[in-house]
Amino acid sequence: MSELVQVYLPMFLVFAVGAAIVAVFWLGGHYLGPKNPNPEKLQPYECGNDSDGARGVRMSVKFYLTAILFVVFDIEAVFIYPWAVLFKGLGWTGFLTMLAFIAALLVALAYCWKKGALEWES
Amino acid sequence: MPFLESHLLGVIVAAPFLAALALLFVSPTRPGAIRAISLVGALVSLAGSVHVALGYDLARGGLQRAERYPLVPSLGIDLSLAVDGWSVSLLLLTGVIIVTGVLASWTLTDRPRDFFVLLLVLVAGVFGVFVCQDLFVFFLFYEIAVLPMYLLIGIWGSRGKVPAAGPFAFVWRRFDVGGREYAAMKLTLMLLVGSAAILVVILALYSAAGGSTFDLQALARARFPRELQLWAFPLLWLGFGSLAGVFPFHTWSPDGHAAAPTAVSMLHAGVLMKLGAFGVIRVGMLLLPEGASYWAPTVGGVAVINVLYGAICALTQRDLKYVIAYSSVSHMGVVMLGAATLTVDGWNGAIYQMFAHGMMTGLFFALVGLVYDRAHTRWVPSMGGFARQMPWVASFFVLAGLSSLGLPGLAGFVAEFLVFLGAWQSQHYVWALAGVLGAWVTAVYVLRVGRDIFFGEGPRSDEIHHLTDARRSEWGALWVLGACLVVFGSYPRLILDFIHVATLEYLPRAAGAASALLEASR
Amino acid sequence: MNLLFGLSPFLAVGVGALLLMLAEAFGKPNVAPGVETTDAGAGRAGELALGAAVILVIGAVLSVAVWVAGPESLPELTQVAPHLVIDKFTLFFSFTLCVGGALAALLAGGYLPEHGIDRSEFFPLLLLSTVGAMALSAAGDLLTLFVALETMSLGVYSLIGLRRGSPRAAEAALKYFLLGSFAAAIMLFGLALLYGATGHTDLAGIGAAVRSIGSPGSTVSAGKILISLVLVLVGLAFKVSAVPFHQWTPDAYEGAPTPAATYMAVAVKSAAFAVLLRVLLVGFGDERLASWGAGWPPALAVLAVLSMTVANLVAGRQESVKRMLAYSSIAHAGYALVGVVAAMRSPEAVSAVAFYLLAYTVSTAGAFGALILCGSRGAEAVSYEDLAGVGKRHPAAALAFSLFLFSLAGLPPTAGFFGKLYVFRTAIDSGLYTLAILGLVNSVIGAYYYLRVMVYLYMREPAPGAPRAVTMRSGFVATALVAAAIFVLLLGMAPGFTLDMASGAALTAR
Repeated sequence: MSELVQVYLPMFLVFAVGAAIVAVFWLGGHYLGPKNPNPEKLQPYECGNDSDGARGVRMSVKFYLTAILFVVFDIEAVFIYPWAVLFKGLGWTGFLTMLAFIAALLVALAYCWKKGALEWES
Repeated sequence: MPFLESHLLGVIVAAPFLAALALLFVSPTRPGAIRAISLVGALVSLAGSVHVALGYDLARGGLQRAERYPLVPSLGIDLSLAVDGWSVSLLLLTGVIIVTGVLASWTLTDRPRDFFVLLLVLVAGVFGVFVCQDLFVFFLFYEIAVLPMYLLIGIWGSRGKVPAAGPFAFVWRRFDVGGREYAAMKLTLMLLVGSAAILVVILALYSAAGGSTFDLQALARARFPRELQLWAFPLLWLGFGSLAGVFPFHTWSPDGHAAAPTAVSMLHAGVLMKLGAFGVIRVGMLLLPEGASYWAPTVGGVAVINVLYGAICALTQRDLKYVIAYSSVSHMGVVMLGAATLTVDGWNGAIYQMFAHGMMTGLFFALVGLVYDRAHTRWVPSMGGFARQMPWVASFFVLAGLSSLGLPGLAGFVAEFLVFLGAWQSQHYVWALAGVLGAWVTAVYVLRVGRDIFFGEGPRSDEIHHLTDARRSEWGALWVLGACLVVFGSYPRLILDFIHVATLEYLPRAAGAASALLEASR
Repeated sequence: MNLLFGLSPFLAVGVGALLLMLAEAFGKPNVAPGVETTDAGAGRAGELALGAAVILVIGAVLSVAVWVAGPESLPELTQVAPHLVIDKFTLFFSFTLCVGGALAALLAGGYLPEHGIDRSEFFPLLLLSTVGAMALSAAGDLLTLFVALETMSLGVYSLIGLRRGSPRAAEAALKYFLLGSFAAAIMLFGLALLYGATGHTDLAGIGAAVRSIGSPGSTVSAGKILISLVLVLVGLAFKVSAVPFHQWTPDAYEGAPTPAATYMAVAVKSAAFAVLLRVLLVGFGDERLASWGAGWPPALAVLAVLSMTVANLVAGRQESVKRMLAYSSIAHAGYALVGVVAAMRSPEAVSAVAFYLLAYTVSTAGAFGALILCGSRGAEAVSYEDLAGVGKRHPAAALAFSLFLFSLAGLPPTAGFFGKLYVFRTAIDSGLYTLAILGLVNSVIGAYYYLRVMVYLYMREPAPGAPRAVTMRSGFVATALVAAAIFVLLLGMAPGFTLDMASGAALTAR
């Protein structure tokens, strides 16, 4: 327990000091600053055009699709790396297993392709 | 026909069920064929029951005609059938009631096929309960007998209902009290609560007896620990008692009987309520003798409330079906009273009362159905002077009424006399007095209702010229039931011999436990 | 070879799923001439449903075959243990899951075209999700457990959202996805703690480590074990939708296409119960944790009582039959939890739960199927009013509906009765009288709302002028109903064989 405290205490102190500084400035500004609100001041913009359109930027759904496909097919590397390291020890069983894995990936790729997930223009 | 002879009990149970199956393949537009098949199924069961009764060896007694078909061997569940003296008498009762019930619903026009299918399934369950020697299958049959009631009342029940009255009228209206859907739901839910209690006890007994058999004989030999018996018996009593109309779990019964179509009322009051009482005695008192003798005073006390409360309620009702329904509650109290005495006469009387009341209430409900069918009202004050138009209906009503109030020479007298005798012997003098008082109140309401409907000048006496007496098949129902009341009333040994044999065999177990309890308390 | 045979139920469904996926993508759309479509699966729900059902039935048959051959006589199977533990417990559950999945596929074959949801992805997704569910029931290692759980759930998330353009469906899918991932995260945290505390990812090793607590030289911290137990329980309680982790259930079921709701109610729940039993008995089977005084039994007992009571009380007040069935599935989770609690003392309780879930699967799938049959395009029967008079318009549908409701209510002679009986019997054998009585009382309360459906089916006429749900005609739905009805009656009238099988499932779970 004491070991934990010794290691992490300085860090927590930094956090605490940081939080205290923020609190002091924020509360100080809130209570000490002069406040004269009027309708003009409460408007979001004092000048310029009225805002228009949606708040966020709309992205085409294609980006999400591409991103998720990238993630999905990228994961295979995570599995293939350790397999490659142990390749000799695993023998034919390991080879066939990986073959089955890649076959499943190919099926998935073919499916995506046929379904049109890889086409940008459509 | 050795096969038939050796599987007779199975045939009795299966006949209505097979008839119901056959009905599924008959076109619903041929009511003649539907009725004929139903009647055949019922008659086969009745004939079988009579044959069983004639062939029962009184000198040997005990369980006879044992049949056994394995059902779930891994849990020790067998479909094992056998009859003792009690079963013989109740089989006869059920056979008579179902045949007359089919006759009484001969004129049914609304979906007759579905009606008869459910009716026959129900009665197959009843037969099953009476001959079953395996506790688990006993429960299965019990449920099969109870559940079709929901649809039978809900679909074919009568639309007429009591107008809401009294300080809580708005509550009654809110829940549609008296309506057939209300009655069907109330009945089913209350009986299911009872079933849940029964199931807990059955499983507990099974577990306590080693978890290998549900056989009633084996369980009866198991000698359960006293604590188990003490908590299990009241659960069983209330569980089965909810079907037998034990106070305060009787409230489904008047609503249910009033809403049910004629044949269903006949079966329900005539046979089904007996299933409950039979369950209390056959399962509760025989398997849990110590619990039974410990709780017997309570059972008897509540039964006294049943007798008196039921009779007083019947006295105040103006709806004809409610009068008869409350009289059933009162008479089932007599059954439970007899059972609680734990004496030979009391038990004989209890079983005999099941038999006699079954016949009597069957006749009553058949008559009420007839009157309702003709007059389209069950409201007693709006009837009067019907005897001129339907003299035979009036005569049979008086006959049933006299049996109900215990006139010597009719079946009801034998039963009540034995029960009161048993109460006297068991030194519960109050029970006997209360029972006699109940019989007296019964006399008052039965005679008064009979007078109001059939005699005197009713408010509508000028409108009743269209009323007709019983017709064709209805005669069959009335004569059979009426004859039974007279025959078994004037020569009770016809049935009592069977009952007595079984009582002599079973009572020593329960009474032995009672005397042991007495010893322990000294 | 023996290894392949032992794994054949999993391989059959998995490979079948991939093949079906290709068949869906590379087939010819079956649309009216002149209609342009880029979706190769358009209009082919029928054939794909048939394919999916056949694959799942093969999976079920192979499960039975491996069962008969006896997984203990296939020593090669230890090669995949503990990642996949192929024992009789697993096989019983994979049979249940395949049956539930096949019924859902058949229902979808009739439902999707009828209601204009032309999404043939349904069937490959269903199969892949079923593979996940089967792997979940076999998982003896935390890693497979989590991967299988996610495989199962991801498929279901998309199944729910298939009715595109319906805000209800979008809400349902989002709700289930958010809460499901949340639950999965909580559970993952629990699993991580468990690994940290014991140094094992296999459940047997964890069990041994937990047992070593208190013995000299043990470094396993009881506090961490307890915390991880709580987290895992919470995660799984979400999946079985036990009160108070049930809030998503009615909304998700209501918004989802009915076959997807069916699949969630039967397969997801069964698989979650399988993994719950295995985790508790193998991982936390230590006497000190599996006792009435401390550990998981009292917590689960509370969940069970809450689930039964709350769900039953709320179900009675629903106006939508679909929501009612959703609450009923919550209540059934409660009954099954009673069996799980009893499993702390009686090994037989495991088989009781397994049998119960099989009975529940066929009854629930049947009830949803009958509901599907009661409404055709544009007028899906969802409320009680929609069912008014079906007893006259379509007697067969009403009869089937009644049978399944009887089974759900636990009335003899149906599968549900024996399921409840078996569960409550083991509870009484284990001395849990209060739980058994509460369960039975609750099944009576439940009977009220099941019977209420029958009131409408048989005793009410549709209000004059009200839109009348026309019953649909579909060979697929009818087949599913007949199959489910046969199961319900078979398990109800001759349960001996299945009971024996289920009791075989018990011995190997510990």
